[in-house]
Amino acid sequence: MRTPPAPRLALTVLERFVPDNEALTGDLLEEFDARPSTVWFWVQVLAAIAAAWRTRGAEIRPLRLVDFQPADAAERTRRYGLRFPSVNLSPVAGMGGLGFMLLIGLMTRTMPAAWWLLLASALAGCVLGAVLIVLARPGGARMTEPGRIVPSGAPRMKGSV
Amino acid sequence: MARDLLTDFELMILLAILRVGDEAYGVQIAREIEATGGRRVLLGAAYTALDRLERNGLVTSTLGAPSAVRGGRAKRYFRVTARGVRAVRNTQRALVALWRGVPQLKERRS
Repeated sequence: MRTPPAPRLALTVLERFVPDNEALTGDLLEEFDARPSTVWFWVQVLAAIAAAWRTRGAEIRPLRLVDFQPADAAERTRRYGLRFPSVNLSPVAGMGGLGFMLLIGLMTRTMPAAWWLLLASALAGCVLGAVLIVLARPGGARMTEPGRIVPSGAPRMKGSV
Repeated sequence: MARDLLTDFELMILLAILRVGDEAYGVQIAREIEATGGRRVLLGAAYTALDRLERNGLVTSTLGAPSAVRGGRAKRYFRVTARGVRAVRNTQRALVALWRGVPQLKERRS
């Protein structure tokens, strides 16, 4: 008897929400081949997404302006570029290059002073990000939970490891 | 100095990799834990723990060749590093030390 194909939607959801998923997807397909149960497959996919989200919540993402880490964004852009050739001159997936250039042109034409504000904001963001990363390193302050930073001299909470 | 101790799931994963040997990848690790440890393993949770162990230098991974049964995806083989073996030993020592002298856990000989 032929094994039914794995649920396409589950695979798409897995690839969308779990970064760096090649080995995991392969393992799930291999197991599905041995025990073809759609319910089992969905349970595994949803559990993988939940586990990935819990991990991402604990990662350092100053200000949380982006959904994914820069490495993930670069990888997704590369894959997107391979799948769909860029026709809008955009260097970043999901962002229109021509629209972006138009916005830059308009801004330069109508209020060039706004560039200084943008530059100052970017610099302040970089400094803040660097400070948060240094504080979160071992030996510096430690991050106990997302958004809560404890200085290195502070006593550890009961039950923490 | 405080030693790095493992969680029960991390300990099971490291022991499963050591038991399986060079062919240890996600499915094999999960099957080993289920068969020997009697614990049901979700592959996503196993990979999350494996990623954490790799970040902490307790395991290393290499990609194998893709295969048709895996939809053209490669296997990711795991090996326990010397630091990982040390962490397993440290955790074993801590658990055995805690085990000793607990009256409720003493074996009854009848």
